[in-house]
Amino acid sequence: MKLNVLWMYHDVMDLYGDRGNIQVLKKRCMDRNIEIEIDTCGIGESKHIGDYDLLFIGGGADREQGLLFDDLVSRKQDIIDAIDAKTFVLLICGGYQFFGQYYIDNSDNKIEGLGIFNYYTTSDSSVGRCIGNIEIEATLDGKTVNIVGFENHGGQTRGVEHPLGKVVHGHGNEYQGGYEGFYNGQVLGTYMHGPLLPKNPEVADFIISKALAKRHGEVQLAELDDTLENRAHEVMQKRMAGA
Amino acid sequence: MRARITLCVVKISRFLLSLLGRGGSLPGQIGLKLDGQILQKIKYPKEIILVTGTNGKTTTTNMVYRLMQKKYKHVICNVRGDNLLVGIAALFLRNTKMKLQVDADCAVIEVDELNVPHVLKRVPVTKVLINNFFRDQLDRAGEMESVVGKVSKALEDFQCALILNADDPNVVRLADTSKQAHVYFFGVDKNSESKEISNEASEGKFCFRCNHQLEYAYYQYSHIGHFACPNCGFGNNDRYVQASDVNLDTQSFVVENTTFHAPQDALYAIYNATGLIALAKLMDIPFANVQDLLKNFELKDGRMESFNIGRNVLLNLVKNPTGANEVMKYIMRDPEDKDIVIVLNDNDQDGTDVSWIWDAHFDLLVDTHTKHIICAGKRAYDMALRLKYEGYIGNLIVSESLEGSIDELKKLDDHAYVIATYTALQSMRKILRRNEK
Ligand SMILES: [Zn+2]
Repeated sequence: MKLNVLWMYHDVMDLYGDRGNIQVLKKRCMDRNIEIEIDTCGIGESKHIGDYDLLFIGGGADREQGLLFDDLVSRKQDIIDAIDAKTFVLLICGGYQFFGQYYIDNSDNKIEGLGIFNYYTTSDSSVGRCIGNIEIEATLDGKTVNIVGFENHGGQTRGVEHPLGKVVHGHGNEYQGGYEGFYNGQVLGTYMHGPLLPKNPEVADFIISKALAKRHGEVQLAELDDTLENRAHEVMQKRMAGA
Repeated sequence: MRARITLCVVKISRFLLSLLGRGGSLPGQIGLKLDGQILQKIKYPKEIILVTGTNGKTTTTNMVYRLMQKKYKHVICNVRGDNLLVGIAALFLRNTKMKLQVDADCAVIEVDELNVPHVLKRVPVTKVLINNFFRDQLDRAGEMESVVGKVSKALEDFQCALILNADDPNVVRLADTSKQAHVYFFGVDKNSESKEISNEASEGKFCFRCNHQLEYAYYQYSHIGHFACPNCGFGNNDRYVQASDVNLDTQSFVVENTTFHAPQDALYAIYNATGLIALAKLMDIPFANVQDLLKNFELKDGRMESFNIGRNVLLNLVKNPTGANEVMKYIMRDPEDKDIVIVLNDNDQDGTDVSWIWDAHFDLLVDTHTKHIICAGKRAYDMALRLKYEGYIGNLIVSESLEGSIDELKKLDDHAYVIATYTALQSMRKILRRNEK
């Protein structure tokens, strides 16, 4: 069994330790003897996204995100085809915003998004920056999962039809917005970093299963020793609860 | 009149605070509150040198302070790193006489990057020394791009001397935007530590002028190195001072046929020193004075601070990926078996966002000679996971208390190192002192 991952704009979109997510996916596959290959795709590189089981895009700085935008737009059809072919997509921060209608950056530049989904992101600095530790209650294909992380974004994302989860502590898509992220069964977008996956092994395994499903159907993942991960999760949960 | 009353109140409050054993920047805060214009009303020394940048500010400021003492009789400096506007105000106001004259012939001020605009607006700075801009505390400072943007805007009308690291593209761009300033570049030659490729360069990939990808002849550390834009030539600058013959084993380097001793055997220390030499040259301070200063310079403040708890322990402060990488490279130059305590906090001054640990190269520690890694601090588990997912297979210990981490360390007998973020440094120092033999 093999998992093929495409990490797009790895060299530009890695502002908040996003590589940590890749490291977690890699180790959790290797520990189960699942072969995993991480391929990267920079600006101008020719890659066929549909060839991969998982597409990952992280967040970057405004200036750098601006530089890769033309490249991303040129891949729109390829991305849509890949999603149709059941490639799973994980998007963090900037990557998440890109898939919406548009986003307005810190300097009030309006940048057209891929327009794959209806949500859009405005820069409403009067509202306030969403920053700090965050905890959400998510429903992943029917299963309730508690997720902890850190959020740090000025952009207010609105019009999200399928949020990833309900905010327990923190802001989410909008300042004190109550809901966080986006998930429609095939694409998972979120502002949660920290990075997302190390303290949320359940989410990591969910993503691995979804990606494997493309070519291998339903796969039962072997149990791993998650003592450290669970303790890390618990410590943050307790802190946010003020206990 | 108002200025004098303010000054009186500042002096009284400073006196009262000193009775309480407090001080720091609070008198500055009081002064600015009473009279928001107070810093525009006092008369300053002729020479004011401002030091800013991400890493090495405190060290460089202290070196510049000592250098200026070789030229001027009465130099004032915020040596303890109170580098926000209130700290600068406290420094000047406590040295201001009732005739509103600052009693000094030179001031050396360390200024936090985001406070540079506030300080330049009020204080007649004559020289600015900038060494580097790295990612640092994203939650507080925002993206590095916006930090550099703010500094660059503040320097647009600056008319005096700008001493810049020619090997940091984020610093070099200031020369483009500071049209009124006299720019002096310093740099460091290729040496045995330099690399053709870098996996640490997260900033400065694209040309500031034309967005073309920058090309590096060599990297020193992080994105510091000899770069140029193949499209527009950005980065091709004459160097006013260039360090050559860098030898980290002997901790020496050469500038204009003079051999200098580096205070530490690390490239960032060579850059700090070379910036200092550029300043000395510009101010006609004999190189012999700088040689002397660098030979005897020691700053014991979480920078290779040493303790004896039955065996030697080195304590180091880390606050961002580049700083952490340099500390880890230093530790790993020790070929013996070692135990490392890492204390990660996420208080405001540490940065509440700890995702930076995933940008730092903790893979450097993954080595068969790294026998134990003990993680402590408010984010001990985040640190432990960082190491686990990096593939560290030595003994990974999490200690929920700071005391406990040193207790664990005392059970072992390898070479010992402690690295701590800002708010943990003070506590770790106290604990180590308590355990000293
Ligand atoms: Zn260029």
